[in-house]
Amino acid sequence: MKIRPILWLFLPAALLLGAFIVLPSFDLFRASVFDPEFTTKHFQRLFERGVYLDVMWRTIRVSLMVAVLCTVIGYPVAFFINLQPRRRQTILLFLILIPMWMSILIRTYAWIVVLGRDGLVNEALAALGFTTEPVQMLFTSGAVLAAMVQILLPIQILTCYAAMTEIDLDLIRAARVLGARPRQALARVFLPLSLDGTLTGLVIIFMLSMGFFITPALLGGRQDMMIANLIEFQVQRLNWSFAAALGVVLLVLTVGMIVLLRGGGRMLARRILKGGL
Amino acid sequence: MQTMKPSLLLTGYFWLIVAYMIFPVIIVIPVSFASSEFLRFPPEDFGIRWYRAYFTDPIWIAATITSFRVAVLSTLISTTCGTLAGLAISRSPQRMQSPLTYAATVPIVIPHIFIALGVFILALRMNLTDSEIALAFAHAAVAMPFVVLITSAAIRQIDPTIERAARVLGAGPVRAFRVATLPPLIPAIVAAAIFAFFVSFDELIIAQFLMKGSETLPMRIWADLRLDISPVVAAVSGLLIVVTTIAMACAEILRRRAVATLAP
Repeated sequence: MKIRPILWLFLPAALLLGAFIVLPSFDLFRASVFDPEFTTKHFQRLFERGVYLDVMWRTIRVSLMVAVLCTVIGYPVAFFINLQPRRRQTILLFLILIPMWMSILIRTYAWIVVLGRDGLVNEALAALGFTTEPVQMLFTSGAVLAAMVQILLPIQILTCYAAMTEIDLDLIRAARVLGARPRQALARVFLPLSLDGTLTGLVIIFMLSMGFFITPALLGGRQDMMIANLIEFQVQRLNWSFAAALGVVLLVLTVGMIVLLRGGGRMLARRILKGGL
Repeated sequence: MQTMKPSLLLTGYFWLIVAYMIFPVIIVIPVSFASSEFLRFPPEDFGIRWYRAYFTDPIWIAATITSFRVAVLSTLISTTCGTLAGLAISRSPQRMQSPLTYAATVPIVIPHIFIALGVFILALRMNLTDSEIALAFAHAAVAMPFVVLITSAAIRQIDPTIERAARVLGAGPVRAFRVATLPPLIPAIVAAAIFAFFVSFDELIIAQFLMKGSETLPMRIWADLRLDISPVVAAVSGLLIVVTTIAMACAEILRRRAVATLAP
């Protein structure tokens, strides 16, 4: 087979990905089942111990919660931007982009400043006379959730916004001309059309949440450990093969859940489009 | 949608959410100018004590320089590979375009911890741990998808007939590309390079696994946040917030301009 000359330009990228993504992935799979002989003991350990199952289940649960919260909170925000005149849209989008650009490490640190013992919220509560003792907010699941949603929300807003700008506004106008009230036109025309993009955003947020490491480690307690934190913990204790098994499980869970969410979401979208909801 | 007006409720809701997203970041800046020993808000006295502490501490400066070096090398690699890949994608036959785009952007889908662990295990076997060059390449692989997405979008906007005209007029393929296609592409490439730089500069987990001897800035911040939160972190964060905002705003403006002026 003759390769078109233009495709040679892809070669450096392919080499880079091959050496630093594909090859390490294979090595990781290999390390998870060879120690040094073929063994499934690492996976057995993973599925036999309640602690590890708890961590896996929590990672999925937290990621789903973050994805749903980002969607519910973000959709109206994207809708509002979409309602604005063109010029103002650009400015408002910048407001969403600025926090998105910030390093996750810095944004997590910012939450320590806000939620710490002498942090902003505690000082405000004390100044207003609501509390006499600092309230424990750091190292709680709530702190992890609040920060993860704040960190990932801009991505969902932008994805929803992109989906909304694709919608042909003449369809809304047509619905209005044909007698639909604004609310009806929104619910029966605009919402279904934006659903697919919103779902994509939900899946992206879920996927990113599954690998979260910094935020649960700094803002959560021991009870908030996620798979990525468990992997780091095992690497520090030099249990590389077990860490590799965890890595494989993380990837399989992420991909599996994405397939499930897309499939389930598509079904839901079809039902809504047919008006069966 | 200009036919509809947002209700007051929706407007209020929008600003509330914007505050939720931006406020925690903004708040770090006044904190970084506090002069007390402990994290406190509002700060009692203002000063540049912690900025001075950062600039005079050799450990913090060394970490910053390491990060800078790694990020520069990583940017060079990812921008070169990514731009070439972007060209290959946008000039290849239609049916090849989406599989190639998927292939080039696959690192976005894979959790960083998975990549970090894989690279670490491979590096252990090949005795490549603690190499800034290996780290820069790994960062480049993670940053490349962004370069590919930005440049291929810009290339698609360029009218290929200009390059064809150059070829007809006798320029070789490389020269034709350099004269006709490259100049309008430069803003997009610069924007992509800025994004790629910050992907590497901010990256923690791969560096954490791979590096043992020297540390990068995020590793230094991480170590500090885990042990005792010194106000130097606030100063570093303040600096990073300002620098990132300026750089990313420039990148975003360049990217928009590239797409807008190239559009026919």
